[in-house]
Amino acid sequence: MATDTRSLLIRYSHCLAAIMLSVALGWHSPLQAELQTLDDAELSEVDGAGIGLVLDNFTFSHGTDQPGENGEQGRIFRITGIKSTDGRDVDITVNHLYIAGAGSNYGENLTPVNLGRLVNPWRIGVVDGNDIGVPNKAILELAAPSKVMASEGYDCMGASAVAGSGTCSSRPATDDWRGERADIGMQMNVAVGGDRSSNLNLHAQSAVIDGSYIRLWGDDERRQMAGQFKLNLYSPEVSINACSQDGSVCGSRITMADFALELAIGNSLQPVFFDVDGGGNFILEVDSIARPAVGQIAANGQRSGSNAETWDYYNSYYSNPDLRSNLRIGNFSVGDRDFGSARVEGMLIQHLKIQTKDLAP
Amino acid sequence: MSRGTFRFSLASLVCFGLQALPVSVLAEMAPLGDDALSDVSGQGGIYLSGDISINEVGGPVENSYFGRCEEQDKKCGARFAYRLKEDGGWMVLDEIRGKFSFEGLTLRVRSIDSGFGGDGEVFDRDVIELGLPDTVRFSDVQFKLAASSTARPTDPGFQQTDIFAIEMQGDVVMQGNLLVFPDGNP
Repeated sequence: MATDTRSLLIRYSHCLAAIMLSVALGWHSPLQAELQTLDDAELSEVDGAGIGLVLDNFTFSHGTDQPGENGEQGRIFRITGIKSTDGRDVDITVNHLYIAGAGSNYGENLTPVNLGRLVNPWRIGVVDGNDIGVPNKAILELAAPSKVMASEGYDCMGASAVAGSGTCSSRPATDDWRGERADIGMQMNVAVGGDRSSNLNLHAQSAVIDGSYIRLWGDDERRQMAGQFKLNLYSPEVSINACSQDGSVCGSRITMADFALELAIGNSLQPVFFDVDGGGNFILEVDSIARPAVGQIAANGQRSGSNAETWDYYNSYYSNPDLRSNLRIGNFSVGDRDFGSARVEGMLIQHLKIQTKDLAP
Repeated sequence: MSRGTFRFSLASLVCFGLQALPVSVLAEMAPLGDDALSDVSGQGGIYLSGDISINEVGGPVENSYFGRCEEQDKKCGARFAYRLKEDGGWMVLDEIRGKFSFEGLTLRVRSIDSGFGGDGEVFDRDVIELGLPDTVRFSDVQFKLAASSTARPTDPGFQQTDIFAIEMQGDVVMQGNLLVFPDGNP
Protein backbone atom coordinates (compact mmCIF):
# COMPACT_ATOMS: atom_id res chain seq x y z
CA MET A 1 0.00 0.00 0.00
CA ALA A 2 2.76 2.43 -0.92
CA THR A 3 2.09 4.77 -3.81
CA ASP A 4 -0.42 2.39 -5.22
CA THR A 5 -2.28 2.01 -2.01
CA ARG A 6 -3.65 -1.29 -3.17
CA SER A 7 -0.36 -2.98 -3.63
CA LEU A 8 1.48 -3.64 -0.47
CA LEU A 9 5.00 -4.20 -1.54
CA ILE A 10 7.33 -5.70 0.93
CA ARG A 11 10.85 -6.17 -0.13
CA TYR A 12 12.04 -9.16 1.73
CA SER A 13 15.44 -8.79 3.25
CA HIS A 14 17.26 -10.80 5.82
CA CYS A 15 17.03 -7.82 8.17
CA LEU A 16 13.41 -8.71 8.98
CA ALA A 17 14.28 -9.18 12.59
CA ALA A 18 16.15 -5.88 12.66
CA ILE A 19 13.06 -4.10 11.39
CA MET A 20 10.89 -5.77 14.00
CA LEU A 21 13.38 -4.78 16.66
CA SER A 22 13.45 -1.17 15.51
CA VAL A 23 9.64 -1.07 15.42
CA ALA A 24 9.53 -2.48 18.93
CA LEU A 25 12.00 0.11 20.17
CA GLY A 26 10.29 2.94 18.30
CA TRP A 27 6.96 2.09 19.88
CA HIS A 28 7.93 3.56 23.21
CA SER A 29 8.00 7.20 24.21
CA PRO A 30 10.43 9.54 22.41
CA LEU A 31 13.87 8.08 21.94
CA GLN A 32 16.62 10.53 21.09
CA ALA A 33 19.30 7.98 20.34
CA GLU A 34 19.96 7.14 16.74
CA LEU A 35 19.05 3.60 15.81
CA GLN A 36 21.66 1.63 13.97
CA THR A 37 21.14 -1.49 12.00
CA LEU A 38 22.48 -4.74 13.36
CA ASP A 39 24.37 -6.93 10.96
CA ASP A 40 23.76 -10.64 10.66
CA ALA A 41 26.58 -11.61 12.99
CA GLU A 42 25.31 -9.29 15.71
CA LEU A 43 21.74 -10.38 15.20
CA SER A 44 22.69 -14.01 15.49
CA GLU A 45 23.82 -13.29 19.04
CA VAL A 46 20.38 -12.05 20.03
CA ASP A 47 18.79 -14.53 22.41
CA GLY A 48 15.12 -13.70 22.36
CA ALA A 49 12.44 -16.08 23.47
CA GLY A 50 10.37 -17.39 20.59
CA ILE A 51 6.61 -17.61 20.57
CA GLY A 52 5.03 -20.91 21.51
CA LEU A 53 1.69 -21.86 20.01
CA VAL A 54 -0.68 -24.61 21.10
CA LEU A 55 -4.08 -25.30 19.57
CA ASP A 56 -6.24 -26.64 22.37
CA ASN A 57 -9.48 -28.54 21.81
CA PHE A 58 -9.20 -27.84 18.09
CA THR A 59 -11.30 -28.91 15.12
CA PHE A 60 -11.19 -27.56 11.58
CA SER A 61 -13.59 -28.53 8.86
CA HIS A 62 -14.56 -27.02 5.55
CA GLY A 63 -15.81 -28.32 2.26
CA THR A 64 -18.18 -27.95 -0.62
CA ASP A 65 -21.89 -28.71 -0.42
CA GLN A 66 -23.88 -30.43 -3.13
CA PRO A 67 -25.79 -27.78 -5.09
CA GLY A 68 -29.39 -27.34 -3.90
CA GLU A 69 -32.50 -27.32 -6.08
CA ASN A 70 -31.74 -23.90 -7.51
CA GLY A 71 -28.07 -24.65 -7.92
CA GLU A 72 -27.07 -22.64 -4.85
CA GLN A 73 -24.28 -23.97 -2.67
CA GLY A 74 -23.93 -23.22 1.04
CA ARG A 75 -20.25 -23.94 1.20
CA ILE A 76 -17.65 -23.79 -1.55
CA PHE A 77 -13.94 -24.59 -1.32
CA ARG A 78 -12.26 -24.59 -4.68
CA ILE A 79 -8.73 -24.47 -6.05
CA THR A 80 -8.59 -23.06 -9.56
CA GLY A 81 -6.19 -21.37 -11.96
CA ILE A 82 -4.31 -24.55 -12.87
CA LYS A 83 -4.11 -25.48 -16.56
CA SER A 84 -3.74 -28.89 -18.12
CA THR A 85 -1.03 -29.43 -20.75
CA ASP A 86 -3.62 -28.99 -23.51
CA GLY A 87 -4.66 -25.64 -22.04
CA ARG A 88 -7.92 -26.68 -20.38
CA ASP A 89 -8.83 -25.29 -16.96
CA VAL A 90 -8.31 -27.63 -14.04
CA ASP A 91 -10.72 -27.13 -11.17
CA ILE A 92 -10.16 -28.92 -7.88
CA THR A 93 -13.26 -28.91 -5.73
CA VAL A 94 -12.43 -29.76 -2.14
CA ASN A 95 -15.46 -31.64 -0.83
CA HIS A 96 -14.08 -31.89 2.68
CA LEU A 97 -10.88 -30.86 4.42
CA TYR A 98 -10.62 -31.66 8.10
CA ILE A 99 -8.23 -31.66 11.03
CA ALA A 100 -9.73 -33.42 14.02
CA GLY A 101 -9.14 -35.90 16.82
CA ALA A 102 -8.01 -39.48 16.20
CA GLY A 103 -10.76 -42.02 15.55
CA SER A 104 -12.71 -39.75 13.18
CA ASN A 105 -13.57 -42.66 10.87
CA TYR A 106 -12.24 -40.92 7.75
CA GLY A 107 -13.70 -37.56 8.75
CA GLU A 108 -17.21 -38.81 9.51
CA ASN A 109 -17.04 -38.16 13.22
CA LEU A 110 -15.11 -35.03 14.12
CA THR A 111 -13.82 -34.68 17.67
CA PRO A 112 -11.38 -32.11 19.06
CA VAL A 113 -7.63 -32.60 19.25
CA ASN A 114 -4.67 -30.67 20.63
CA LEU A 115 -1.86 -29.60 18.34
CA GLY A 116 1.43 -29.00 20.15
CA ARG A 117 2.11 -29.53 23.84
CA LEU A 118 2.56 -26.80 26.43
CA VAL A 119 5.96 -28.28 27.22
CA ASN A 120 6.84 -28.67 23.53
CA PRO A 121 4.70 -26.33 21.43
CA TRP A 122 4.75 -25.12 17.85
CA ARG A 123 7.33 -22.35 17.69
CA ILE A 124 7.95 -19.17 15.75
CA GLY A 125 11.23 -17.52 16.56
CA VAL A 126 14.63 -16.32 15.53
CA VAL A 127 17.36 -18.87 16.15
CA ASP A 128 21.12 -18.49 16.23
CA GLY A 129 22.52 -19.93 13.02
CA ASN A 130 25.73 -20.93 14.80
CA ASP A 131 23.72 -23.62 16.64
CA ILE A 132 22.39 -25.22 13.47
CA GLY A 133 25.35 -25.02 11.12
CA VAL A 134 24.60 -21.73 9.33
CA PRO A 135 27.35 -19.52 10.80
CA ASN A 136 26.70 -15.91 11.80
CA LYS A 137 23.13 -15.78 10.62
CA ALA A 138 19.89 -14.98 12.38
CA ILE A 139 17.37 -17.51 11.15
CA LEU A 140 13.62 -17.25 11.15
CA GLU A 141 12.17 -20.59 12.14
CA LEU A 142 8.67 -22.01 12.15
CA ALA A 143 8.77 -25.39 13.81
CA ALA A 144 6.42 -28.15 14.84
CA PRO A 145 7.04 -29.76 18.26
CA SER A 146 10.59 -31.08 18.31
CA LYS A 147 11.60 -34.70 18.63
CA VAL A 148 12.64 -35.76 22.13
CA MET A 149 14.92 -38.37 23.74
CA ALA A 150 13.63 -41.91 23.24
CA SER A 151 13.53 -42.29 27.03
CA GLU A 152 10.90 -39.52 27.30
CA GLY A 153 9.03 -39.70 24.02
CA TYR A 154 6.27 -41.79 22.50
CA ASP A 155 6.41 -44.20 19.60
CA CYS A 156 5.49 -42.14 16.52
CA MET A 157 3.06 -44.77 15.17
CA GLY A 158 1.59 -46.66 18.08
CA ALA A 159 -1.97 -45.74 18.99
CA SER A 160 -1.36 -46.93 22.53
CA ALA A 161 2.28 -45.85 22.84
CA VAL A 162 3.47 -45.08 26.36
CA ALA A 163 6.20 -42.73 27.58
CA GLY A 164 9.68 -43.97 26.79
CA SER A 165 8.66 -45.87 23.65
CA GLY A 166 9.94 -43.49 20.95
CA THR A 167 11.12 -40.05 19.91
CA CYS A 168 7.83 -38.27 19.17
CA SER A 169 6.65 -35.69 21.65
CA SER A 170 2.99 -35.68 20.61
CA ARG A 171 0.98 -38.28 22.50
CA PRO A 172 -1.68 -40.65 21.18
CA ALA A 173 -5.22 -40.29 22.50
CA THR A 174 -6.06 -42.18 25.70
CA ASP A 175 -9.24 -42.55 27.74
CA ASP A 176 -8.28 -39.49 29.84
CA TRP A 177 -6.67 -37.26 27.27
CA ARG A 178 -7.51 -36.39 23.66
CA GLY A 179 -3.84 -36.47 22.68
CA GLU A 180 -1.88 -34.42 20.16
CA ARG A 181 -2.22 -36.63 17.11
CA ALA A 182 -4.73 -35.47 14.53
CA ASP A 183 -6.71 -37.19 11.84
CA ILE A 184 -6.18 -35.16 8.69
CA GLY A 185 -8.01 -35.72 5.46
CA MET A 186 -9.09 -34.23 2.20
CA GLN A 187 -11.76 -35.38 -0.20
CA MET A 188 -11.54 -33.73 -3.56
CA ASN A 189 -12.85 -33.82 -7.04
CA VAL A 190 -10.69 -32.89 -9.99
CA ALA A 191 -12.23 -31.59 -13.19
CA VAL A 192 -10.21 -31.05 -16.36
CA GLY A 193 -12.28 -28.87 -18.67
CA GLY A 194 -15.75 -30.40 -18.61
CA ASP A 195 -14.58 -33.86 -17.52
CA ARG A 196 -15.26 -34.28 -13.86
CA SER A 197 -13.50 -37.28 -12.33
CA SER A 198 -14.68 -39.34 -9.42
CA ASN A 199 -13.83 -38.20 -5.92
CA LEU A 200 -10.33 -38.76 -4.66
CA ASN A 201 -9.92 -39.17 -0.92
CA LEU A 202 -6.74 -38.87 1.14
CA HIS A 203 -6.73 -39.63 4.85
CA ALA A 204 -3.96 -39.80 7.44
CA GLN A 205 -4.94 -41.21 10.78
CA SER A 206 -3.43 -40.13 14.06
CA ALA A 207 -0.79 -38.11 12.20
CA VAL A 208 2.29 -36.68 13.88
CA ILE A 209 4.61 -34.14 12.25
CA ASP A 210 7.06 -33.73 15.13
CA GLY A 211 10.51 -32.55 14.11
CA SER A 212 9.27 -30.67 11.01
CA TYR A 213 10.40 -27.13 10.39
CA ILE A 214 10.92 -24.32 7.91
CA ARG A 215 13.98 -22.12 8.38
CA LEU A 216 14.56 -19.00 6.32
CA TRP A 217 17.43 -16.57 6.05
CA GLY A 218 19.18 -14.31 3.56
CA ASP A 219 22.22 -15.57 1.70
CA ASP A 220 24.92 -12.88 1.38
CA GLU A 221 26.66 -14.26 -1.66
CA ARG A 222 23.62 -14.86 -3.83
CA ARG A 223 21.63 -12.03 -2.22
CA GLN A 224 18.66 -14.32 -2.10
CA MET A 225 16.29 -15.97 0.32
CA ALA A 226 17.66 -19.31 1.45
CA GLY A 227 15.99 -21.96 3.53
CA GLN A 228 15.81 -25.42 4.98
CA PHE A 229 12.65 -27.45 4.87
CA LYS A 230 12.03 -30.61 6.83
CA LEU A 231 8.76 -32.51 6.81
CA ASN A 232 8.27 -35.50 9.06
CA LEU A 233 4.95 -37.28 8.78
CA TYR A 234 4.19 -40.38 10.79
CA SER A 235 0.86 -42.10 10.63
CA PRO A 236 -0.31 -45.62 11.43
CA GLU A 237 -2.49 -45.48 8.32
CA VAL A 238 -2.43 -43.27 5.25
CA SER A 239 -5.06 -44.21 2.72
CA ILE A 240 -6.14 -43.16 -0.74
CA ASN A 241 -9.30 -44.22 -2.49
CA ALA A 242 -11.63 -43.08 -5.21
CA CYS A 243 -15.38 -42.91 -4.96
CA SER A 244 -18.15 -42.01 -7.38
CA GLN A 245 -19.12 -38.34 -7.38
CA ASP A 246 -21.98 -38.82 -4.94
CA GLY A 247 -19.73 -40.97 -2.74
CA SER A 248 -22.07 -43.98 -2.85
CA VAL A 249 -19.68 -46.42 -4.55
CA CYS A 250 -15.99 -46.54 -3.69
CA GLY A 251 -13.13 -48.46 -5.28
CA SER A 252 -10.48 -50.42 -3.43
CA ARG A 253 -8.71 -48.48 -0.74
CA ILE A 254 -4.93 -48.14 -1.10
CA THR A 255 -3.67 -48.37 2.44
CA MET A 256 -0.18 -47.59 3.64
CA ALA A 257 0.16 -48.86 7.19
CA ASP A 258 2.84 -47.46 9.49
CA PHE A 259 3.69 -44.67 7.10
CA ALA A 260 6.81 -42.64 7.90
CA LEU A 261 8.04 -39.82 5.68
CA GLU A 262 11.13 -37.82 6.61
CA LEU A 263 11.67 -35.34 3.80
CA ALA A 264 14.63 -32.94 3.90
CA ILE A 265 14.88 -30.27 1.19
CA GLY A 266 17.85 -28.01 1.75
CA ASN A 267 20.28 -28.38 4.63
CA SER A 268 22.95 -26.34 6.36
CA LEU A 269 25.53 -27.15 3.66
CA GLN A 270 23.15 -26.94 0.72
CA PRO A 271 20.30 -24.56 1.43
CA VAL A 272 17.29 -24.38 -0.85
CA PHE A 273 17.00 -21.07 -2.75
CA PHE A 274 13.78 -19.42 -3.83
CA ASP A 275 13.48 -17.07 -6.77
CA VAL A 276 11.16 -15.74 -9.44
CA ASP A 277 12.64 -15.19 -12.90
CA GLY A 278 11.99 -12.30 -15.28
CA GLY A 279 9.14 -14.15 -16.98
CA GLY A 280 7.25 -14.60 -13.72
CA ASN A 281 8.14 -18.25 -13.12
CA PHE A 282 8.86 -19.59 -9.66
CA ILE A 283 12.21 -21.31 -9.19
CA LEU A 284 13.24 -23.56 -6.33
CA GLU A 285 16.85 -24.65 -6.37
CA VAL A 286 19.19 -26.77 -4.29
CA ASP A 287 22.70 -25.97 -5.46
CA SER A 288 25.17 -28.81 -5.88
CA ILE A 289 27.87 -28.99 -3.25
CA ALA A 290 31.17 -27.35 -4.28
CA ARG A 291 33.91 -29.67 -5.53
CA PRO A 292 36.98 -29.86 -3.33
CA ALA A 293 39.99 -27.96 -4.67
CA VAL A 294 42.66 -30.01 -6.42
CA GLY A 295 44.90 -31.76 -3.91
CA GLN A 296 42.57 -31.31 -0.95
CA ILE A 297 41.49 -34.95 -0.94
CA ALA A 298 44.13 -37.69 -1.27
CA ALA A 299 43.94 -39.96 -4.31
CA ASN A 300 42.99 -42.93 -2.17
CA GLY A 301 40.20 -40.95 -0.48
CA GLN A 302 41.59 -41.56 3.00
CA ARG A 303 41.72 -38.86 5.65
CA SER A 304 45.45 -39.26 6.08
CA GLY A 305 47.04 -37.42 3.19
CA SER A 306 43.99 -35.19 2.69
CA ASN A 307 43.35 -31.75 4.08
CA ALA A 308 41.69 -32.80 7.36
CA GLU A 309 39.16 -29.94 7.43
CA THR A 310 38.03 -30.53 3.87
CA TRP A 311 37.87 -34.28 4.37
CA ASP A 312 35.73 -33.82 7.51
CA TYR A 313 33.42 -31.43 5.67
CA TYR A 314 32.69 -33.92 2.91
CA ASN A 315 32.56 -36.81 5.33
CA SER A 316 29.90 -35.06 7.37
CA TYR A 317 28.00 -34.18 4.19
CA TYR A 318 27.88 -37.81 3.07
CA SER A 319 27.38 -39.43 6.48
CA ASN A 320 25.02 -37.09 8.35
CA PRO A 321 21.62 -38.85 8.50
CA ASP A 322 19.85 -35.50 9.14
CA LEU A 323 20.55 -34.40 5.57
CA ARG A 324 18.83 -37.42 4.09
CA SER A 325 15.22 -38.20 3.29
CA ASN A 326 13.47 -41.47 4.12
CA LEU A 327 10.18 -43.11 3.29
CA ARG A 328 9.07 -46.24 5.09
CA ILE A 329 5.80 -48.06 4.67
CA GLY A 330 5.08 -50.91 7.06
CA ASN A 331 2.56 -52.59 4.80
CA PHE A 332 1.25 -51.53 1.42
CA SER A 333 -2.11 -52.95 0.50
CA VAL A 334 -4.78 -52.46 -2.12
CA GLY A 335 -8.21 -53.70 -1.06
CA ASP A 336 -7.57 -57.06 0.58
CA ARG A 337 -4.25 -57.69 -1.17
CA ASP A 338 -1.06 -57.07 0.80
CA PHE A 339 2.15 -56.11 -0.93
CA GLY A 340 4.34 -56.10 2.15
CA SER A 341 6.63 -53.34 3.33
CA ALA A 342 8.54 -50.76 1.31
CA ARG A 343 11.52 -48.65 2.27
CA VAL A 344 13.36 -45.90 0.47
CA GLU A 345 16.07 -44.71 2.78
CA GLY A 346 19.01 -42.34 2.81
CA MET A 347 18.07 -40.20 -0.20
CA LEU A 348 20.38 -37.20 -0.44
CA ILE A 349 19.26 -34.36 -2.68
CA GLN A 350 22.52 -33.35 -4.35
CA HIS A 351 21.02 -30.99 -6.88
CA LEU A 352 17.46 -29.92 -7.50
CA LYS A 353 15.95 -27.25 -9.66
CA ILE A 354 12.23 -26.87 -10.05
CA GLN A 355 10.86 -24.14 -12.28
CA THR A 356 7.20 -23.48 -12.93
CA LYS A 357 6.22 -22.98 -16.56
CA ASP A 358 3.20 -21.21 -17.86
CA LEU A 359 1.33 -23.59 -20.15
CA ALA A 360 -1.38 -21.11 -21.02
CA PRO A 361 -1.45 -20.53 -24.76
CA MET B 1 -16.23 -11.32 30.94
CA SER B 2 -17.49 -8.17 29.23
CA ARG B 3 -19.75 -8.68 26.26
CA GLY B 4 -20.33 -6.34 23.41
CA THR B 5 -20.94 -6.70 19.76
CA PHE B 6 -19.41 -4.40 17.30
CA ARG B 7 -18.28 -4.25 13.73
CA PHE B 8 -14.69 -3.49 13.07
CA SER B 9 -12.47 -3.21 10.08
CA LEU B 10 -8.75 -3.32 9.55
CA ALA B 11 -8.77 0.48 9.61
CA SER B 12 -10.38 0.59 13.03
CA LEU B 13 -7.85 -1.93 14.30
CA VAL B 14 -5.11 0.45 13.23
CA CYS B 15 -6.89 3.36 14.96
CA PHE B 16 -7.20 1.25 18.07
CA GLY B 17 -3.47 0.61 17.96
CA LEU B 18 -2.72 4.32 17.65
CA GLN B 19 -4.97 5.17 20.56
CA ALA B 20 -3.13 2.68 22.68
CA LEU B 21 0.15 4.54 22.19
CA PRO B 22 1.52 5.92 25.43
CA VAL B 23 0.75 9.57 26.14
CA SER B 24 2.28 11.64 28.90
CA VAL B 25 0.43 11.30 32.20
CA LEU B 26 0.73 14.12 34.73
CA ALA B 27 -1.07 12.70 37.76
CA GLU B 28 1.12 11.36 40.52
CA MET B 29 0.85 7.63 40.98
CA ALA B 30 0.61 6.11 44.40
CA PRO B 31 1.27 2.46 45.14
CA LEU B 32 -1.67 0.23 46.08
CA GLY B 33 -1.27 -2.02 49.07
CA ASP B 34 -1.93 -5.75 48.87
CA ASP B 35 -5.28 -5.32 50.60
CA ALA B 36 -6.45 -2.67 48.19
CA LEU B 37 -5.20 -4.70 45.24
CA SER B 38 -7.02 -7.80 46.38
CA ASP B 39 -10.30 -5.88 45.91
CA VAL B 40 -9.60 -5.08 42.30
CA SER B 41 -11.30 -7.36 39.88
CA GLY B 42 -10.30 -6.82 36.29
CA GLN B 43 -12.30 -7.73 33.28
CA GLY B 44 -12.05 -11.35 32.34
CA GLY B 45 -11.29 -10.74 28.70
CA ILE B 46 -12.69 -9.52 25.44
CA TYR B 47 -15.53 -10.97 23.43
CA LEU B 48 -15.65 -9.94 19.81
CA SER B 49 -18.27 -10.39 17.17
CA GLY B 50 -18.19 -8.80 13.80
CA ASP B 51 -16.66 -9.09 10.42
CA ILE B 52 -13.47 -8.25 8.64
CA SER B 53 -13.73 -7.48 4.99
CA ILE B 54 -10.92 -7.05 2.55
CA ASN B 55 -11.70 -5.17 -0.67
CA GLU B 56 -15.31 -6.35 -0.64
CA VAL B 57 -16.30 -3.85 -3.31
CA GLY B 58 -12.82 -2.81 -4.36
CA GLY B 59 -9.78 -1.04 -3.01
CA PRO B 60 -8.84 2.64 -2.92
CA VAL B 61 -6.71 2.59 -6.06
CA GLU B 62 -8.41 3.18 -9.38
CA ASN B 63 -6.31 3.17 -12.51
CA SER B 64 -5.99 1.28 -15.75
CA TYR B 65 -5.59 -2.04 -13.88
CA PHE B 66 -7.37 -1.71 -10.53
CA GLY B 67 -10.97 -0.64 -10.07
CA ARG B 68 -14.30 -1.38 -8.42
CA CYS B 69 -15.45 -4.98 -8.28
CA GLU B 70 -18.40 -4.31 -10.58
CA GLU B 71 -16.07 -3.20 -13.37
CA GLN B 72 -15.62 -6.35 -15.41
CA ASP B 73 -12.23 -5.51 -16.93
CA LYS B 74 -10.61 -4.32 -13.69
CA LYS B 75 -9.07 -6.22 -10.79
CA CYS B 76 -10.48 -5.25 -7.41
CA GLY B 77 -8.59 -7.44 -4.94
CA ALA B 78 -5.58 -6.48 -2.84
CA ARG B 79 -2.10 -7.39 -3.98
CA PHE B 80 0.88 -8.32 -1.82
CA ALA B 81 4.22 -8.77 -3.56
CA TYR B 82 7.55 -9.80 -2.06
CA ARG B 83 10.92 -10.27 -3.62
CA LEU B 84 13.09 -13.32 -2.95
CA LYS B 85 16.33 -12.21 -4.59
CA GLU B 86 18.12 -8.97 -5.35
CA ASP B 87 17.00 -7.91 -8.82
CA GLY B 88 14.82 -11.02 -9.02
CA GLY B 89 11.12 -11.39 -9.71
CA TRP B 90 8.31 -11.14 -7.20
CA MET B 91 6.13 -13.71 -5.44
CA VAL B 92 2.62 -12.36 -5.34
CA LEU B 93 -0.52 -12.96 -3.33
CA ASP B 94 -2.98 -11.40 -5.71
CA GLU B 95 -6.66 -10.55 -5.84
CA ILE B 96 -7.11 -10.98 -2.12
CA ARG B 97 -10.68 -10.21 -1.16
CA GLY B 98 -13.60 -11.44 0.84
CA LYS B 99 -15.37 -11.14 4.15
CA PHE B 100 -14.89 -13.14 7.34
CA SER B 101 -17.82 -12.91 9.78
CA PHE B 102 -17.68 -14.44 13.24
CA GLU B 103 -19.39 -14.33 16.56
CA GLY B 104 -17.65 -15.02 19.82
CA LEU B 105 -13.95 -14.63 19.23
CA THR B 106 -12.60 -14.31 22.76
CA LEU B 107 -9.31 -13.00 24.04
CA ARG B 108 -8.20 -13.49 27.63
CA VAL B 109 -5.28 -14.42 29.80
CA ARG B 110 -5.56 -17.93 31.16
CA SER B 111 -3.54 -19.40 33.97
CA ILE B 112 -2.73 -23.05 33.35
CA ASP B 113 -1.60 -25.27 36.19
CA SER B 114 -3.49 -28.48 35.52
CA GLY B 115 -4.94 -30.59 32.72
CA PHE B 116 -3.38 -31.10 29.27
CA GLY B 117 -2.69 -34.75 30.07
CA GLY B 118 -0.36 -33.78 32.91
CA ASP B 119 1.49 -31.02 31.03
CA GLY B 120 -0.46 -28.24 32.77
CA GLU B 121 1.04 -29.00 36.15
CA VAL B 122 4.60 -28.89 34.79
CA PHE B 123 3.88 -25.78 32.71
CA ASP B 124 2.22 -23.71 35.49
CA ARG B 125 2.21 -20.34 33.70
CA ASP B 126 -0.10 -17.79 32.13
CA VAL B 127 -0.90 -17.87 28.45
CA ILE B 128 -2.84 -15.62 26.09
CA GLU B 129 -5.87 -17.56 24.97
CA LEU B 130 -7.57 -16.72 21.70
CA GLY B 131 -10.88 -18.54 21.76
CA LEU B 132 -11.85 -19.37 18.19
CA PRO B 133 -15.46 -18.84 17.25
CA ASP B 134 -17.12 -22.16 16.49
CA THR B 135 -17.77 -21.16 12.94
CA VAL B 136 -16.42 -18.40 10.74
CA ARG B 137 -18.56 -17.42 7.78
CA PHE B 138 -16.48 -16.83 4.68
CA SER B 139 -18.15 -14.72 2.00
CA ASP B 140 -16.44 -14.80 -1.39
CA VAL B 141 -13.03 -15.26 0.17
CA GLN B 142 -10.44 -15.68 -2.54
CA PHE B 143 -6.79 -15.17 -3.28
CA LYS B 144 -4.35 -16.18 -5.95
CA LEU B 145 -0.72 -17.25 -5.67
CA ALA B 146 1.38 -16.02 -8.55
CA ALA B 147 4.91 -15.17 -9.63
CA SER B 148 5.45 -11.86 -11.33
CA SER B 149 8.25 -10.03 -13.13
CA THR B 150 7.40 -6.65 -11.58
CA ALA B 151 5.97 -5.54 -8.26
CA ARG B 152 3.08 -3.53 -9.68
CA PRO B 153 0.92 -4.68 -12.58
CA THR B 154 1.19 -1.17 -14.02
CA ASP B 155 5.00 -1.31 -14.18
CA PRO B 156 6.59 -1.66 -17.63
CA GLY B 157 7.43 -5.21 -18.69
CA PHE B 158 4.80 -6.71 -16.38
CA GLN B 159 4.45 -10.44 -16.83
CA GLN B 160 2.74 -12.75 -14.38
CA THR B 161 2.24 -16.50 -14.06
CA ASP B 162 -0.66 -17.51 -11.86
CA ILE B 163 0.13 -20.69 -9.95
CA PHE B 164 -3.24 -21.38 -8.36
CA ALA B 165 -6.24 -19.63 -6.84
CA ILE B 166 -8.27 -20.52 -3.75
CA GLU B 167 -11.94 -19.73 -3.31
CA MET B 168 -13.79 -20.33 -0.04
CA GLN B 169 -17.39 -19.67 0.84
CA GLY B 170 -19.77 -20.62 3.62
CA ASP B 171 -19.42 -21.71 7.23
CA VAL B 172 -15.97 -22.96 8.18
CA VAL B 173 -15.82 -24.96 11.38
CA MET B 174 -13.01 -23.60 13.55
CA GLN B 175 -13.34 -24.74 17.13
CA GLY B 176 -10.88 -24.57 19.97
CA ASN B 177 -8.44 -22.19 21.58
CA LEU B 178 -5.14 -20.88 20.34
CA LEU B 179 -2.73 -20.54 23.25
CA VAL B 180 0.17 -18.14 22.79
CA PHE B 181 3.12 -17.84 25.15
CA PRO B 182 6.82 -17.02 25.17
CA ASP B 183 8.84 -20.12 24.64
CA GLY B 184 12.37 -21.31 25.11
CA ASN B 185 15.67 -19.64 24.49
CA PRO B 186 16.67 -20.12 20.90
